[in-house]
Amino acid sequence: MKRTLLFLAIAAASLLTTQVKVYAHHSFAATYFEDKTITIDGTLRQFLYRNPHSFVHVEAPDDKGVMQTWAVEWGAGGQLSRDGVTRESLKPGDHVIITGNPGRDPEDHRIRMQSIKRPATATAAEFNWKGVVR
Amino acid sequence: MFAALLAVPAFAQVDFTGEWAPLYHEDGPERLPGPELGDYTELPINAAARMAADTYDADRISVVPEYQCRPHGADYSMRGLGNLRIWQEIDQNSQKLIAFHTHMLAWDSERTIWMDGRPHPPAYAPHTWQGFSTGVWDGNMLTITTTHLKVNYLRRNGVPRSDKAIFTEHWMRHGDYLTVVTVIEDPVYLTEPLVRSDNWSLDPGQNIGIFGCEYAPEVPRPEGTVPAHLPGNNPYLREFAGWYGLPYEATRGGAETMYPEYMKKIAGEYHPPAKCSRYCKCTSLFDCNLNSK
Repeated sequence: MKRTLLFLAIAAASLLTTQVKVYAHHSFAATYFEDKTITIDGTLRQFLYRNPHSFVHVEAPDDKGVMQTWAVEWGAGGQLSRDGVTRESLKPGDHVIITGNPGRDPEDHRIRMQSIKRPATATAAEFNWKGVVR
Repeated sequence: MFAALLAVPAFAQVDFTGEWAPLYHEDGPERLPGPELGDYTELPINAAARMAADTYDADRISVVPEYQCRPHGADYSMRGLGNLRIWQEIDQNSQKLIAFHTHMLAWDSERTIWMDGRPHPPAYAPHTWQGFSTGVWDGNMLTITTTHLKVNYLRRNGVPRSDKAIFTEHWMRHGDYLTVVTVIEDPVYLTEPLVRSDNWSLDPGQNIGIFGCEYAPEVPRPEGTVPAHLPGNNPYLREFAGWYGLPYEATRGGAETMYPEYMKKIAGEYHPPAKCSRYCKCTSLFDCNLNSK
């Protein structure tokens, strides 16, 4: 029994470690100010769980208080699934707080995700993700 | 006599079959998080390539739908876009090697490297992302020539590679490691061949999934918008020189910047920061970030 469990554990670990989804779609340095961070607090309107990159679109005010639609770039579906994030993890209407690197074109209102938090509500559990989008 | 019929002539050939994982100890920051704007160092580019790169806006990949799922070409793929599978195609009757095939995770790209001596198609034949490849043995090294590549990038900060380029690879297997030395000759954008090398490690347990790129409105902009900088209007081109203490001219690339003698030329103008502050450590996917130390 112990040997069977050990075998299954090793096999499972091997499956996780060999699914290395490495690719290089575009240069983050060319797209974002990597040495700056921005935080937005708003309502999630859309969650695109996909390759090459997942995106969340959030309605939140900018630094002048004007409501904007922010495009927040997240990891590919494979990266997110390894982190336990599924397409069901977030829903339109969720209140989210996002921190990340701002895009180089301010008109895009674009962010590279560093962290996202959904505070717990009566109908949804708290959700947290923090990491590096690759 | 029967034994003679069974005898297999000895060829200095190598089987590259296997599952290969890319290694990133060479050019890690460029290949992983991506090159910084204005970094054209060590690229033998001409003025046309420089202008294309200077006017490039990386938002193009998100805003223009056709760019979202645009694969990297066969040449850039060998920089290690993702896990790689190589297998042979053997003719059943003659037992001769007809081709090597590759499958790359990124964009589920597949390439055929013909080993049967067939010629390349004429110049006006259709071009594809993976191009048309043929291989010949040079001892136990495989030399591959690829033509008919669609326009693509030399570097992901906008430095282009034309559809006139010839891509040559030298595959060398040594045990569980595969070294690929690549040479790109581009009459449109390069003044000299661009030579790079990449290494791969055999990873029999790897599992290449499906990439399956999906078009979506990543960064909504009015239809027809193509993000770009007008010539002379890119405000970010001097960042790279400033961060690393390099003279601006050195960052503009050109064949001269490929050679060690160039270091002597800029010795008096190169003032590296006293302490590393950007990409100080970058040897793998998991430790190559702006603030890695």
